[in-house]
Amino acid sequence: MHKINEYTKSREAFARATRVIPSGIYGHQGPAEGCYVPIEAFPLFSSKAAGSYLWDLDGNRFIDYMCAYGPNILGYHDPDVDAAAAKQRAISDCTTLPSTLMIDFADLLVETVNTADWAFFAKNGNDVTTLAVMTARAYTHRKKIVFFKGYYHGVAPWTQKIDYAGVIEEDVMHNLYVEWNNFEQLQDVFERYRGEIAAVIGQPYMHGNFMDNQMPADGFWQKVRKLCTDEGSVLIVDDVRAGFRLDLAGSDHYFGFEADLICFCKALANGYNVSALCGKDFLKNAVSSMSYTGSYWLSAVPFAAGIACIEKMKRIDCPKLLNEKGTALKNGLLEAAKSYGFDLHVSGAPSLFYLRIADDPSLKLHQEWIAECVKRGVFFTNHHNHFINAALSDEDIKETVEIAAEAFEVIRARHPQ
Amino acid sequence: MKDERVLAHCNLFGVLGAIPTLLELLPEARAIVQDQKIAIGFLVKNGPSATLSIDHGKAEMTRGATKCGIKLYFSSPKKFNAMIDGTGTPLPISGFWHLGFLLGGFTKLTDLLSEYLRPTPEKLRDPVFFERSTVLMLHVIAGAVAEIGNEDSVGRFSASNIVDGTVRFCIGDSYAVGVRAENHRLTALHCDPGEGFSEMQFADLRVARDLFDGNINAVAAVGTGHVRIAGMISQVDNVNRILDRVSLYLA
Repeated sequence: MHKINEYTKSREAFARATRVIPSGIYGHQGPAEGCYVPIEAFPLFSSKAAGSYLWDLDGNRFIDYMCAYGPNILGYHDPDVDAAAAKQRAISDCTTLPSTLMIDFADLLVETVNTADWAFFAKNGNDVTTLAVMTARAYTHRKKIVFFKGYYHGVAPWTQKIDYAGVIEEDVMHNLYVEWNNFEQLQDVFERYRGEIAAVIGQPYMHGNFMDNQMPADGFWQKVRKLCTDEGSVLIVDDVRAGFRLDLAGSDHYFGFEADLICFCKALANGYNVSALCGKDFLKNAVSSMSYTGSYWLSAVPFAAGIACIEKMKRIDCPKLLNEKGTALKNGLLEAAKSYGFDLHVSGAPSLFYLRIADDPSLKLHQEWIAECVKRGVFFTNHHNHFINAALSDEDIKETVEIAAEAFEVIRARHPQ
Repeated sequence: MKDERVLAHCNLFGVLGAIPTLLELLPEARAIVQDQKIAIGFLVKNGPSATLSIDHGKAEMTRGATKCGIKLYFSSPKKFNAMIDGTGTPLPISGFWHLGFLLGGFTKLTDLLSEYLRPTPEKLRDPVFFERSTVLMLHVIAGAVAEIGNEDSVGRFSASNIVDGTVRFCIGDSYAVGVRAENHRLTALHCDPGEGFSEMQFADLRVARDLFDGNINAVAAVGTGHVRIAGMISQVDNVNRILDRVSLYLA
């Protein structure tokens, strides 16, 4: 039996946080958006991280399957990336004139990413999805953007919905929504708004929460690609989440089509703060003409980290490695679930697996199981896809499956068949 | 933006819709209508209609105003909302012989309702009053959530994202109401719906009150454990977006 974690110090820190920070921990890493159910099962603050582990304030160690929600792709504190960053930090970082590392990094992305003729750097995924939409509008002189329902493209008002706090009708009035994998619906929208659609934006497959993740139907993206080309609209792939976990050349390449613009962040520099918009040559002038910048966007340390990260991902064939690790974990979890009579669904790519116990549609049973895993040192979350990193060892996978089985045993005892 | 028609729905099914609960909670409210059996119809032109049936200390609110002893007509949602605000008067179009009850017993009931839904800080210091007032608010909010989800343009967008099933809202283990979603139409359930498809539990009356009054935030309260969510959390999430608009309409 594995020990059950206690989180006294996390609770104390959270109480302190709520006094000076709105909601204590805001956003996806907070307990509300993170769906920490029940709250007692989850740690709230970390004290350190290394490889595939993080430790909370109470000294509990977790095998971390959220990987900071994606940035940790090589393992926390990867020695090669950290060394490159440290070396550059000793030289310069945030300076008046940018370092030529910026050019090196752009060169590397152009060489690596199939659809990239250029690269533009910023800090967060939201920065580059917003730039992508602005670029499409600047190039086409059109207003409307088509989204696939269940999308997540950041937190700028245009990415949110009309019922979100702080969002006004005008922020989203040019957003059009179609069902994922429903090409006919997309065609209808193009028909209805002929000549008005600046872009279609989509994640490479549906990562939606509270539901199994869905891969693109056969030929779906190819039809979308052709439609965009025929109608003069820009095709944007938001690869912020899946980028480099499926294919180093981009997830559009993985699925056999070419985006006009592709957005990267998370795994780009193994946790160092940089994002990139890459695109085709015909859009380069549109981007050049825009006023779009930020205080830290040209800092050199993240560029050095990004270069080291991409070079290492190439050396180790990271997507293949992550797929193998994810598949081993998936098989172990499925077997553990089956042995206790649970119908566990593992969807999405193995390197970005999504979990759902399908026996209870309300997902309460699933939440119980996740809680029992977290209490024993496996950091899963309830309703978001997970992330595999390259430092995850066979031993980690074995321990995860053991803990998962123990958690299944606990909830089976609570809910006899 | 506040829509008078949606506000009329909230006032009718949320505020006046709490009269049955008022009668359950308050002996003094029951005493007012202990000997009464009457159905009062509310008919709002270009707005909602409902019948409040009072039967010897109990009451029920149903949609439509066809079978009623006295029918009150309002020429617009704005006129109805003015009556709820106490700045307008209804026009009876039938059942004039019940005017005495309307001006007497019914007015006393609605005065009590106002006292509990718009309490003074002094009144709230009484724990019994505090409890009854908070529970009444829970029911008003459930009623208003359903109306906003069905009638308000932004509320309908939120409702369009709610999967079928019941969201159970409870205060500790003592009081519960529900909002049922079916084909993106919402219905308020003014009783404990049993196990919900999703749950939102307020730790106690104080937490519930502070949330209703906007003194604490639900997202922060989830982190502290003062509010517990479980089940199909996307339901809770979308209902909370509607809840945000309840304060727009009924604050």
